[in-house]
Amino acid sequence: MRLLLNRLYAVAEILAASCLVAIALLVLAQVLGRLADGFLKLAGADPVGFLVPSLAEIAGFLLVGASFMALASTLRHAVHIRVSLAIANAPAGLRRLMETLVLLLGFGLVAYFTWFAAALAYDSYLYNEVSFGIIPIPLCIPQAVMALGLGVFALSLLDDLIVQLSGGTPSYVAAEAARGLEGVE
Amino acid sequence: MDISLVALLLGVVLLLGLTLGLWVAVALSACALVAMKLLVSAPSGPVLMTTVWGAANSWDLTALPMFIWMGEILFRSRISENMFTGLAPWMQNLPGRLLHVNILGCGIFAAVSGSSAATTATIGKMALPELMKRGYDEKLAIGTLAGSGTLGLLIPPSIILIVYGAATEQSIARLFIAGVLPGAMLCALFMGYVAIWALINKSKMPGADEPVPLLARIRATRSLFPVLLLIVGVIGSIYAGLASPTEAAAVGVLLSLGLSAWYGTLSRASFAEALIGATRTSCMIAFILAGAAMLTVAMGYTGIPRELAGWIGSLDLSPYALLAALTLFFIVLGCFLDGISVVVLTTSVILPMVQAAGLDLIWFGIYLVLVVEMSQITPPVGFNLFVLQAMTGRNIFQVARMALPFFLIMILAVALIVAYPGLALWLPETMLAN
Amino acid sequence: ETKWDMPTPYGDGNFHTKNIAAFAEDVSTATNGSLTIQIHSAGSLFKHPEIKNAVRKGLAPIGEVLVSRLANEDPIFEVDSVPFLATSYDAARKLYDASKPVLEKKLADQDLVLLFAVPWPPQGIYAKKELSSLDDLKGVKFRAYNASTEKIAQLAGAVPTQVEVPDIPTAFSTGRVDAMITSPSTGADTKAWDYLTHYHDTQAWLPKNMVIVNKAAFDALSDAEKQAVLDAAAKAEARGWEASKAETAEKTKVLADNGITIVEPSAALVEGFGKIGAQMVEEWKAAAGADGAAVIETFNK
Ligand code: NA
Ligand code: NA
Repeated sequence: MRLLLNRLYAVAEILAASCLVAIALLVLAQVLGRLADGFLKLAGADPVGFLVPSLAEIAGFLLVGASFMALASTLRHAVHIRVSLAIANAPAGLRRLMETLVLLLGFGLVAYFTWFAAALAYDSYLYNEVSFGIIPIPLCIPQAVMALGLGVFALSLLDDLIVQLSGGTPSYVAAEAARGLEGVE
Repeated sequence: MDISLVALLLGVVLLLGLTLGLWVAVALSACALVAMKLLVSAPSGPVLMTTVWGAANSWDLTALPMFIWMGEILFRSRISENMFTGLAPWMQNLPGRLLHVNILGCGIFAAVSGSSAATTATIGKMALPELMKRGYDEKLAIGTLAGSGTLGLLIPPSIILIVYGAATEQSIARLFIAGVLPGAMLCALFMGYVAIWALINKSKMPGADEPVPLLARIRATRSLFPVLLLIVGVIGSIYAGLASPTEAAAVGVLLSLGLSAWYGTLSRASFAEALIGATRTSCMIAFILAGAAMLTVAMGYTGIPRELAGWIGSLDLSPYALLAALTLFFIVLGCFLDGISVVVLTTSVILPMVQAAGLDLIWFGIYLVLVVEMSQITPPVGFNLFVLQAMTGRNIFQVARMALPFFLIMILAVALIVAYPGLALWLPETMLAN
Repeated sequence: ETKWDMPTPYGDGNFHTKNIAAFAEDVSTATNGSLTIQIHSAGSLFKHPEIKNAVRKGLAPIGEVLVSRLANEDPIFEVDSVPFLATSYDAARKLYDASKPVLEKKLADQDLVLLFAVPWPPQGIYAKKELSSLDDLKGVKFRAYNASTEKIAQLAGAVPTQVEVPDIPTAFSTGRVDAMITSPSTGADTKAWDYLTHYHDTQAWLPKNMVIVNKAAFDALSDAEKQAVLDAAAKAEARGWEASKAETAEKTKVLADNGITIVEPSAALVEGFGKIGAQMVEEWKAAAGADGAAVIETFNK
């Protein structure tokens, strides 16, 4: 089970990173197209006018993938920001209580948002909502990715909540401690 | 319920959540949800998720992960080390020495990037480890980064000026040009502070290097060439008409990969590490932006910022008193909301007051950006603080403490452009005079 | 007492927003304050792409949208943006009247009620040189923001180029784009003289903004309130069309006063665009099916 979950978080993160690579490739294709036209013009030839259709919209959708699919893994590596001043200095008992509360609230809220993100995607599917630009892209696709990313995030919070309740150390607390030992980069 | 009481209650909810140790984005969304449930009849879940969708799926925002990725690649190459080696002999006699690289680096990078988070993250990733290695004072190094990272908003291109220009129908070209001199002035003020600090705190500065003969200096300068190539490549792609400012970020990624390959530091492993690092950092920022967007829309429905701004308008203040009141108002609002939200939520109410007071709208845009820049480094919600917390492991209150002198310098800068409006207006009036 | 939050896409200085502010005022006065409308201009509550759905789902009871933003959902929403179909205020009015029943039907499918629609000034071509015939557009980088503007550029032999709105000044200054088609309002509001030189008054089409209301929210009003809203809407529509005409004259003058050359399109240019228009009308009719054909038939009567 542990292995399966860890693999899920890792796969989601790889998808997120792939979205960033895709953004870079699409933008660079457009830039190189303009560069080629510049050279053609210098050579006195007609421009090709290469165009990545709906570049801005597609890049925006890919950014949604990059941002949301990485949520869980970013949590587990303690990169999400929080103010740990109080919790770090609290006595052990209080600290456990606070951490449990943080995980309960975090899971509750993220699960709530996951539900409404899924509802948003489903509604776009029902009403055939499409993007405005040159290529009509069904909005339910990137919106479903957003819901999926939030879902994996909610799962990872539940995962850590269960670990915390069964007396273990949540992933991000372990990561925070490990980073503390290494000192400031 | 009285509106200021509600505002207070929501502030307390946010602070409680943050103190408990909730992630910033979660605390912001919790505050947004409480505000919606208490005060707004529109369905909370759909409103908040529609807003998150609108905020997350943004073309302009794509530049942010690209620039962060660029920083991660450069951090893993030898480029920053070389840059500092090349610059060190030249900065030997300037009080504060290489600390100025933070400020100038941010100033130059701001000419490419429209956001302060991207500026802070990219320059910080490159400069901070080098400065630490060379024994510079950590507090000042982090403080200069936090402060000068905000230049990303003032020096064109700037996301905030675009938002302001669109809302007020001011020329974006003029706003951009108007930001140049105040940006340079702020740079100079920051550098002046660092120089004075270095003169007073000689003991906290690392020992001076051996003096380097001129010929050796010039030889060392060759190692600046790659950085120069990168800057010229990215800025040049914009001015040669090859890339929009947003697209230039991807050009930066490509050029950084090229340089890393040139140095022999590009490998499968370093590529993957940089990419994953960028993915996580930009995810962290995007998550907070989503939380901030939720709070913004909740504020839009509740009308709290609108009513507070309207209350200032009802006081019938003289122009200077109005500006003083607005500055205070923006600073307080900026502690809890991000800068763009502050502009978006209040322009409709504030603009008529500003026009009635006879203030120039281009000038006011620059004033607004300066004031909003401060919100980037005020706790508990300040994006530069978050970026630096992630980078250094210091908590945001420590980082905010380090950034405090720079916050005060920005207040000075505001006073200066109020006293000398020409600082903002001279350049656009001269350059675009018909 | 009911309070409606109303997201709109444009800033307070825009003539559409001003018209809507007057509409809100009228509603409030006519209902003695029992229905008030809080305008959230410049996308400050919901951004333009989200406004229609926000109203459909009742997140905001009322809102303003550019009709042709929905063109990818259904070609009917593009009717006012088919180039060179209706090129004057009178023709645009006739086209609006012809298309209104089917527009209302399509909106009703999404539980939306059309309150009123107001046109933008006619679309003209901005460029960095004078265009005296289609030949002058050969190889020119022409701004395309949707399938239809991409098609115009292609048919004119220009190079379609995507530029986002906030990027327009930079794109012109750095040579990523050489020409665009938009209204004198947008040109004057973005101070087009900072980055280009010529405006060609081609009057290609008159796109409209519409104010839509969520059906459930509307039905929840008292009969008196409903009537007040409808009356104010009718007034706003009439006022808006006149304001749009005044806007055209005023903003064209602003362009001229700031040194932009206003070009009356040459016969050759008109003829060239006429051909493009005829082809695009046929293509639109094919895409819009029976509904579209019926609209064109009524329009041509
Ligand atoms: Na900038
Ligand atoms: Na702040």
